[in-house]
Amino acid sequence: MTTFDVPLEPGHPLDPAPPGPDTSARAISWQGVRTIAVLELRQRIRSTRWRVALAVWFALVGLVSILIGGAFAALGGDPTWSFGLVLMFVLGLGLVVAPTLASTAINGDRNAGTLAILQVTLLSPADIAVGKLLAGWAAALAFLAVSLPFLIWSALLGGTTVAGFFLSIVVLALLLGVVCAIGLGFSALTARTAGSSVLTYVAVASLTVISLILFALTAPLVTTTEEVEVYGVSEEAMAGDQTYECETFTAQREVTHTERTWWLLAINPFVILADTGAQPGLDPRDSGPFEAIRSATNQVRSGPPDVHQECWLDSAPPPTVDDAAPIWPWGLAANLLLGAVGLAVAIRRLRVPYRTLPGGTRVA
Amino acid sequence: MSTPQPAGPGAPPDPPPGILARDLHRSFGTVRAVAGVDLTVRRGSVTALVGPNGSGKTTLLLILAGLLAPDHGSVLVAGADPGSSATARSRVGWMPDAFGTWDSLTAVEVLTTMAGAYRLPAGQGRARAWELLRTVHLDDLAAAPAHTLSRGQKQRLGMARALINSPEVLLLDEPASGLDPRSRIEMRSLLRGLAAAGTTVLISSHVLAELDEMVDDAVFLSRGRTVSSEQLRVGVTERRWRLRTLDGPALQRWASAARVTLHPDTDAPDGAGSVLVDLTDDAAAAALLAAAVGAGVPVVSLAPVSGRLEQAYLSLDTERR
Ligand SMILES: Nc1ncnc2c1ncn2[C@@H]1O[C@H](COP(=O)(O)OP(=O)(O)OP(=O)(O)O)[C@@H](O)[C@H]1O
Ligand SMILES: [Mg+2]
Repeated sequence: MTTFDVPLEPGHPLDPAPPGPDTSARAISWQGVRTIAVLELRQRIRSTRWRVALAVWFALVGLVSILIGGAFAALGGDPTWSFGLVLMFVLGLGLVVAPTLASTAINGDRNAGTLAILQVTLLSPADIAVGKLLAGWAAALAFLAVSLPFLIWSALLGGTTVAGFFLSIVVLALLLGVVCAIGLGFSALTARTAGSSVLTYVAVASLTVISLILFALTAPLVTTTEEVEVYGVSEEAMAGDQTYECETFTAQREVTHTERTWWLLAINPFVILADTGAQPGLDPRDSGPFEAIRSATNQVRSGPPDVHQECWLDSAPPPTVDDAAPIWPWGLAANLLLGAVGLAVAIRRLRVPYRTLPGGTRVA
Repeated sequence: MSTPQPAGPGAPPDPPPGILARDLHRSFGTVRAVAGVDLTVRRGSVTALVGPNGSGKTTLLLILAGLLAPDHGSVLVAGADPGSSATARSRVGWMPDAFGTWDSLTAVEVLTTMAGAYRLPAGQGRARAWELLRTVHLDDLAAAPAHTLSRGQKQRLGMARALINSPEVLLLDEPASGLDPRSRIEMRSLLRGLAAAGTTVLISSHVLAELDEMVDDAVFLSRGRTVSSEQLRVGVTERRWRLRTLDGPALQRWASAARVTLHPDTDAPDGAGSVLVDLTDDAAAAALLAAAVGAGVPVVSLAPVSGRLEQAYLSLDTERR
């Protein structure tokens, strides 16, 4: 048998790539993003699971809204709580559903063998990641759209202003997008879909519950005993004659410097939404949940007062509501930053050619 | 093109190869999946990539498709580096050995999605999708959800998907698995047609008999190394043929008179009626047959014992992993 070895020309230099649109595959393109988003949305819309989920969501939000509205009607109370409660309920439900919308987008596709065939095309990693994020976000917005009738109805019952209503809806939409982006990031990081789902739920729980617990647990750490200004009846006056009078003096007091930990509350989606929906200038003690949360957060943010009020002789002045410095821009910015990190991680991990592969996975 | 060009003073220089890989290495942890691959695939040829399980065929194709970075070595596919160049991506079609289909997308939507991913305008993409569906005979299933297709139909859809961007270089990883005999024949003629039109095809498969009938060249991999590159259509290859007759003794008498060396056929069920003979080419076979029949030997058949690829494969010291 005669075999012919194909000459390999060992000394021959490899010809350079012809100059061309070689950089275009690295950038983001609207056509690429749209291709991926349409692909993802088509798959979602056609599954019956999706329609069932929307129907269940509609029924749930409707039921809760009607119960809340009915409760206020029956008790004859002021329905200022209705919008706040319904919005909080929609947010809570949204935070449960949104992680499922994007947290398996990348590792799920990789396991199903449908990721690599897109990666070899002219689509850039950014096209794929942003397309998937937009599709997940659009799905989350569909849930929000389904709840809009009830949100509008409860807003008409009372509890917010027109500007507050629109701001709340926009911020809620953005927060759901942030959760999708975080989920997308985790789906690019972990090989298993169960892992990324759990991590996304942990992230959401960290933002909503664990941050709250941390805030409480860190309170002793930021509590110190200091010399502070006190307005009240001094101990000398107490020991002396019977005419008590309030005066300003300095004394040792335990002071909790919550101005160092207030951001733990500010990143909480519930706090952010309360701040956007709250009506300005209301007494937090007899208005809705938004005003209560807002004034509590504001107090925490400003930390201990310059002068501690301890005068029990005259009635305390109503707590001042600080509307001038809203908290939500800080919280929203922090959340958007987290979402951006998630998206950046996804783009990074979608880059081919792979140098390292996550353990135990194959490309194809 | 596969037609050899006359090498004259005014002839253009040889076209650059469709695929050129030099000293490729790629490890996964301690497993050296590709450990020294040198590969040249002629433009417009169909080249077989053959090797035992775990010899690194899929890994090599992933590197060529620009999905895996080699640890060491250089690659040119369609004249560009597949890892960094959009030009290479737009010129390469890749069909993985295992791939999924998107839930609830129809066959035609799968193809239009891929066309969009290659930045084809929508109208052009749709036209190309239908053209390819007709090529792989899936046009009457165009509206069926892709994941309800049978395995062979999915495989054909995968082939159409790899062709959507009219690639210059086609990388196929076991494309024929699950195909029925007719589809195999159609795939063969499809690939030959593509090659005749200038497409470079690199195809991995374990079914050597099938490759035998369509490939020009073959590259053998063993333990991540290229052990031999052959140009099968070029040159003379002495092959072993099986000669069957009704009258064994008559054949033996004629053979010793005509000075033809016969080897005993140990695999044959009918004992003395079947012998093996080494022949250089088809013309030698025809001459032998004519002589034997002319001498009155009742010949039943004369056929190659095994395909050229199979023979080459077995003669190589390849090891399974
Ligand atoms: N992602 C990976 N991680 C770890 N090892 C891998 C990975 N991909 C491939 N390998 C190893 O590299 C070797 C080559 O694998 P490859 O898939 O390229 O073989 P192959 O030639 O395609 O085999 P087959 O004929 O069975 O398809 C095998 O030993 C395999 O276990
Ligand atoms: Mg393989």
